[in-house]
Amino acid sequence: MDEPALIQTAQRGDLDSFNTLVLHYQDSVFNTALRILGDEDLAADAAQEAFISAFRSINTFRGGSFKAWLLRTVTNACYDELRRQKRRPTTPLEPETNDGEEVDSPRWLADPNLTPDQQFEADELEHAIQHCLDMLPAEFRSVVVLADIQGMDYAEVATAARVPLGTIKSRLARARLRLRECLRGFEELLPSAFRLEGESKT
Amino acid sequence: MKNFREIELLSAYLDGQLSPSESARLEARLASDPELASAFNDLRAARGILRKLPSRKAPRNFTLTRQMVGLKPPLPRSYSFFRFSTAFATILLTLTFAANLAAPRLKYVGPINTGWGGGYGGGPAESAPMLAAEAPAATEAPAEMEESLSAAVTATPAGTLAPAAPALEADVMPTQMADSVATEAPTAKQMETPPEAAALPPVADQAGAESGAAEPAQSQPLIPVAWQFALFALILLSGLVAFLLRRSAMQKWK
Repeated sequence: MDEPALIQTAQRGDLDSFNTLVLHYQDSVFNTALRILGDEDLAADAAQEAFISAFRSINTFRGGSFKAWLLRTVTNACYDELRRQKRRPTTPLEPETNDGEEVDSPRWLADPNLTPDQQFEADELEHAIQHCLDMLPAEFRSVVVLADIQGMDYAEVATAARVPLGTIKSRLARARLRLRECLRGFEELLPSAFRLEGESKT
Repeated sequence: MKNFREIELLSAYLDGQLSPSESARLEARLASDPELASAFNDLRAARGILRKLPSRKAPRNFTLTRQMVGLKPPLPRSYSFFRFSTAFATILLTLTFAANLAAPRLKYVGPINTGWGGGYGGGPAESAPMLAAEAPAATEAPAEMEESLSAAVTATPAGTLAPAAPALEADVMPTQMADSVATEAPTAKQMETPPEAAALPPVADQAGAESGAAEPAQSQPLIPVAWQFALFALILLSGLVAFLLRRSAMQKWK
């Protein structure tokens, strides 16, 4: 795929070129939306909306990582969706201090509403991670999704999340710390799946 | 638990974002500080778990259609011309109808204007008391006012019809008004009736004249019907051409 040529023709209004780019990046865009929103249908809507918005504003792309630029569009679409949800909340809010800061303690993980069967369902690695991601504030979640799930470098994350590099470092550290705390709670329940003995050194 | 500055440093180190000298210093500390090493392992484990998260395939293709992005087919330049001529001819046709409808009324405006004095006979009678009330004091009356005194005197009934207006003030009515009142015989007659009543007959006359004038105008429209037919034909023709051009462009585009 000759990405620069496709981008150029897409910038001249050629939809077929843009659709080739869509097919190439749609999994990344969908996965980013899925991990930020935690819901497949909402993620699919956000991905579609992001591609429409990306085509309309493709002339604002001035080079650099096209993937980062695309993921910025989908991150924005996800923020829009989260704002909509905030206006019409359907899920209970996570515990906060009086200052509006999220409580760092993993005690909120002990959900008394979960039956043993439901707890068992959360046994799956994916569900557990998504659950922990969902507990993060949106701006932390998007940074950790872009860096650790999409494997982008700091500069790309900064472009995609539209925040300075220093903020990326700080948010990523905090998000990883919180995720570790969250996953530790699951580790106690499911030691075989969540034994965090660490990855092999990269 | 290490302080957040250290956690941030460890996280950046994990991603290879530290300078070689910073990395070397941190590695030395990691070797000697088990708590720091434990925090580092926690961060690395968290990142490792996230990386294990399976990547999902998109549930459907997100390719865009032209409708989704509101793209329009490239239309030939002639399309704009025919579309414009259709719109222009439609406006013109509407104007011809409007002109033909308005013509009789416009024609009537002429006689009304020329017969201002007669048609407006009730006017001075009505306005005389009012003007008299607003007029400056008699001591400041201009010289020409004196000259037209005899004419103004004939208008004094206007003053007498308005009980609130003193006769003296009626005398200093502006000359022009006094003249028009004095020279119009019907006006003088109407003075004897109350001002409100005097205003009524001309209105009735106006209505009568209007209906009388409208009839001959309808038989001779301002814009000939043939022109209207021509415009209508132009609308149909250019509209049809524009429609066909657009349709063929759409078909080619699809």
